[in-house]
Amino acid sequence: MDAEGLESFRQFVAGRSAALLRTAVLLSGGDRHAGEDLLQGALAKVAGRWHRIDEPEAYVRQVLYRQQVSRWRLKWRRREVSVAHPPETGPPGTDTAAATDLRLVMREALSRLTARQRTVLVLRYFEDLPEADVARLLGCSVGTVRSTAHRSLARLRALAPELAALAPAAGERSSSRDYSPVEVRP
Amino acid sequence: MNIEELMSEALREQAAEQPPPAPGLADRVLTVRRRRRTRRIASVAVAVAAVVTAAVGVPRLESGGHDVRPLGRVDPKPKAPTAAHPAQSPVRSLIAAGNTAMAAYYTQKTDWRTAHKGLRTRTYWLLDPKSGRYEKDTRWSWVAVAPGLRTAAVLEQHLPVRRIGLLDIASGEVERWIPVDQPVGGLEFSRNGTKLVATTYEENPDIVTRTGAEGIPVPVKSSRTGFYVFDVASGKGPWAAVGVQRDNQGNEINLRQDFEFCRDGRTVTGRQSGAPTVRFYDASGREVGVPDGERYNTVTAGLSPDGTRLAGEFAGKKWHTSSWILDPRTGKHLAEVRGQILLAWADDKSLIAWDIGEGDKNEFHNRLVLVTIGSDKEVPLSGFLRGTDGSAGRWEPVFAER
Repeated sequence: MDAEGLESFRQFVAGRSAALLRTAVLLSGGDRHAGEDLLQGALAKVAGRWHRIDEPEAYVRQVLYRQQVSRWRLKWRRREVSVAHPPETGPPGTDTAAATDLRLVMREALSRLTARQRTVLVLRYFEDLPEADVARLLGCSVGTVRSTAHRSLARLRALAPELAALAPAAGERSSSRDYSPVEVRP
Repeated sequence: MNIEELMSEALREQAAEQPPPAPGLADRVLTVRRRRRTRRIASVAVAVAAVVTAAVGVPRLESGGHDVRPLGRVDPKPKAPTAAHPAQSPVRSLIAAGNTAMAAYYTQKTDWRTAHKGLRTRTYWLLDPKSGRYEKDTRWSWVAVAPGLRTAAVLEQHLPVRRIGLLDIASGEVERWIPVDQPVGGLEFSRNGTKLVATTYEENPDIVTRTGAEGIPVPVKSSRTGFYVFDVASGKGPWAAVGVQRDNQGNEINLRQDFEFCRDGRTVTGRQSGAPTVRFYDASGREVGVPDGERYNTVTAGLSPDGTRLAGEFAGKKWHTSSWILDPRTGKHLAEVRGQILLAWADDKSLIAWDIGEGDKNEFHNRLVLVTIGSDKEVPLSGFLRGTDGSAGRWEPVFAER
């Protein structure tokens, strides 16, 4: 990398690393150290191809997602996850103790999913990406994304019974399952 | 609430709690990469030797095996939740929208030492990242917060001072002091947080004067001497002597007239009384041409994050408040948005602004709001300021990228 490339790489990292680290920590199930390792690894890959990359942020993100999934394939041992304390206050009128508790339960449950399951959920519900984009980013089919998301939600409910009472996600509702009252004929 | 909504909220909350990485990440990455490459070259030598002796295959040099290509359609910035406290003034808990947070705020008071001369002092409240609340910190006379809300550059009381502190906001401790030969009175970080411009003065730039009883103005003389541009990582940087020039009538700039960074992070801009009033300098203090997008930049919010829009002046009439959005290249009006004064961009289409309330007829009764280009909707972020200009009950926000 020449001097100009070094400077632009430094500027990119200084400007965008905070946002990228947030994603990396979520992908790592809330493990800050694992998130930092993940981001550092992705940036190292990107640095090697810096001159050939037109959209560095999109590139780094894709490396992050795929690297996370491949780390899971390598069966890295999951580290102990520390859960941060919740903020004391939130937007007025929206934050109750029960809602905060549920979010903490959700975090803990997310940290116990496989990396692939969690990556799909982060892409769908944090990055707000449609299924087709998630499939392209992870190099799999839309059907795989859909079934992984479905299984991940079921797994979350199994891990945390508190979440079972919540309404199902839009994609989970199936027409074959009818919960309406059954008419009983005499 | 369904499980999707809860997950989305939980993820966003967890993301918002993450402090930014420690400074110097790029250099750590490059160092690790250099080490890896050295190891890889060594292993290639071993592998080649193995081929010669045992005719085994040469291992692939690139690890991984995934062909990774950039994709166009990825949202470059995750959406962070808006944090608003419309009942609080001054605010006690985090105010934030998009990629921008109120990192601190300060109140001001003037201590009149003679009939005509006084000293304006600021009291800062800094955002505690752990509690999400603003905590009073009376140690500092000036605070500039770096992007990421982790580090602040601070000046002690009794300006101008001979050292700049780099404060770890989470611990409240100064991690490093940068000593200076020329006393400093004001600071600002570059957009990416890697550089710091420090304006140097001979005397306290917060001295204020007022017109005498006979209506004779008290003489004002700025003591600005120039600026430093520091590399934050090394704490080193040149000092440039850029004094004060009077105009034809002998008028000077304000006592405090700090230098600021342009968006490019290299050019420094500052004011003089003589035309041109706004000038641009390189780090050595040599005057340079106007950088792209800076010609019409006069409002605090400046250029949008993507550089395609420029926050403009007040556009309203009477009690209708609005502001212009300009084309940075031509200065032409692109749009009109709500808001009395545009303070900071939250994203490429939304800004944090001061504005008066609906139907209000008091220009000083303003609050922080979020306004969006192409929308009449205005989201209140804070409670209303109290009093009129300069009185108690008023506070000034300090914004930074979160």
